[in-house]
Amino acid sequence: MARVNNWQINREMAYWYPEKRPRRQFAAVFDINKCIGCQSCTLACKTTWTSGKGQEYMLWNNVESKPYGFYPLAWDLKLLQMLGPQRWEGARYIGQTIFEAAPAGRRVRGWQPQERDYAYPNVGEDDCAGLLDKGLGLHVPHTAWFFYLARICNHCSFPACLAACPRGAIYKRQEDGVVLIDQSRCHGYQECVRACPYKKSFFNPLSGTSEKCIGCYPKLERGLQPQCFLNCIGKIRLAGWVSPPSQADPENPIDFLVHIKKVAKPLFPQFGLEPNVYYIPPIHVPTPFLKQMFGPGVEEAVNTYKRAKEDPDLQALLCLLGSTERLMARWRRQGEWVVGAADDGGEIVRVPLKEPVYVRPAFDQRYEIARVNCP
Amino acid sequence: MRCARGVCMVGERDRARWLIFLALGLALAGGCRDRPQPSGSEIVMLKVEQLPASPEDPAWQKAPEHVARLLLQDIVEPRQLKVTTAELRVRALQDGKKVAFRLQWKDPTKDELPGPGKFLDGCALQVPAEAGASLPAPQMGEPGRAVEILFWSAGWQAMAEGRADRLQALYPNAWVDHYPYEAPALRGNPSSQREMENLYLPARALGNHRAGPRSSAVEEYLAQGPGTLTPRKNSGSHGMGKHNPEGWSVLLTRSLPRSRYVALAVWDGAEGEAGGRKMRTSWIALRETQPPPR
Repeated sequence: MARVNNWQINREMAYWYPEKRPRRQFAAVFDINKCIGCQSCTLACKTTWTSGKGQEYMLWNNVESKPYGFYPLAWDLKLLQMLGPQRWEGARYIGQTIFEAAPAGRRVRGWQPQERDYAYPNVGEDDCAGLLDKGLGLHVPHTAWFFYLARICNHCSFPACLAACPRGAIYKRQEDGVVLIDQSRCHGYQECVRACPYKKSFFNPLSGTSEKCIGCYPKLERGLQPQCFLNCIGKIRLAGWVSPPSQADPENPIDFLVHIKKVAKPLFPQFGLEPNVYYIPPIHVPTPFLKQMFGPGVEEAVNTYKRAKEDPDLQALLCLLGSTERLMARWRRQGEWVVGAADDGGEIVRVPLKEPVYVRPAFDQRYEIARVNCP
Repeated sequence: MRCARGVCMVGERDRARWLIFLALGLALAGGCRDRPQPSGSEIVMLKVEQLPASPEDPAWQKAPEHVARLLLQDIVEPRQLKVTTAELRVRALQDGKKVAFRLQWKDPTKDELPGPGKFLDGCALQVPAEAGASLPAPQMGEPGRAVEILFWSAGWQAMAEGRADRLQALYPNAWVDHYPYEAPALRGNPSSQREMENLYLPARALGNHRAGPRSSAVEEYLAQGPGTLTPRKNSGSHGMGKHNPEGWSVLLTRSLPRSRYVALAVWDGAEGEAGGRKMRTSWIALRETQPPPR
């Protein structure tokens, strides 16, 4: 195994291949606080990519309710249990990654999902932690909680699927960091399915190959955000490019949220894959749960997000989520407006920080009719 | 008889005992001429006029049986660290142009349905691509020293026997509302339907030989080391597998190889074996022989 530098766990770690970062790394920020679990993203992906034979059960994008929702069943709990205690020393992870914990004869520690694990894609939906006795749910803040976790492939910097494939059929594109399975080369051994801790590689029983989220790379190549981003009615998603922390650029919207404000966190960084979907954590969930899921900086992220109204830049950037189909490599705030821009700084979209308020009298004198609050 | 070679190891002082033993052996061999003889450390390719078309053909009874002890594939990841299939019984017949092998092994479960977390039974035979005194690495060859591999899969066998290329063939109670290729606008236009179907089956669209549907239960490959398996055009080989409660009996037929060595491998789907997770042999010598005179 080679030694690579994983900035999310603040240390070197073992990986099957030497470190070779792409020229540009596709990344995303999902604001969990805004997700309403409508599954529009799931359907957008399903209809675009997985409507074929053998793909019936596949959800390259899914939304699950945490803590009791999983797809496949208990995907995270099983691996967390296998990995044992995951200790952090400050921002440095001192436990084992799934590469370092690989059992004899394997490149990665993982588990093989069975058919029944995919049989309950909506298990745990809207189930909250704790009991709602005697009207507890009527009080704010709620003592019980759940949240929606939207998931796609993380197009990791150190993909476990890629490391585990004995045929070298999985590759990471140099131009955008998207991780793909070469469908002409895959032999369907399911090593990637076993290895991916996020379980975003799926075996197609009719083609005999494994398939996964492709980051809608044909759209990325045309400067567009993926389908699940475009169709998100909660406007929780922003696609773009993330830099290593040493090259963080405040004018890059993903860098600003991930590196400058540190308000967006990777999912299970302790697994060691350096995943590139970053989540703004839910503000109503107990910290220990969030720490396990998003790492030790999560409390700071929640506090920063809660204070966004005092931070015009952060507030402005959050208004860009879901504002356009085009990929925004740069951004800037101009007074009460936020501008999303292309690589060359050219304006793509302009969004007001505050929507104008229109007040209409309840009774329209002109038509002599009472207005109702519906379109 | 090859067994005489073993007897020759007996010392001079035991010559009298050896002669008695030899006489008894010849008498037994003459009494049941069709009974197969163990082939020792080699696989004997008995010459016949016509090769059998099935692993159940009575012609196999004439061929000597070689029992190959299987080894773990514990050299490259993912490794096989648990002994599953312990031995493989091999017989071979040849007609001067082609050679037919019959591989038999114990496996009470018939694993022919693919799925998430499900793996298929299979077997393979491998020969050096070139004849020569030194052999390539038995683990799928090495760079510059290729091996030819003939792979048989229980899943492909089921397809060759007519398993439908649809979800319900794998999950009989599955219900699918609609596939894009079934759109009314495409009805009556098979080429457009196939084009739409392949949009969602990129492995097939790209010509991946493993992606089915298929009419042959075998595939030919070249390899120059682990992870380098590359399909090649079928040169006339074929295969057929039959399962009974004890296990598999698989016929593999190919052209007579240039080299006189073969290596074999077996996958037990119920044990989660696929790819490098397999039981295998090292190189085993092949020897041509004529049938005993009647």
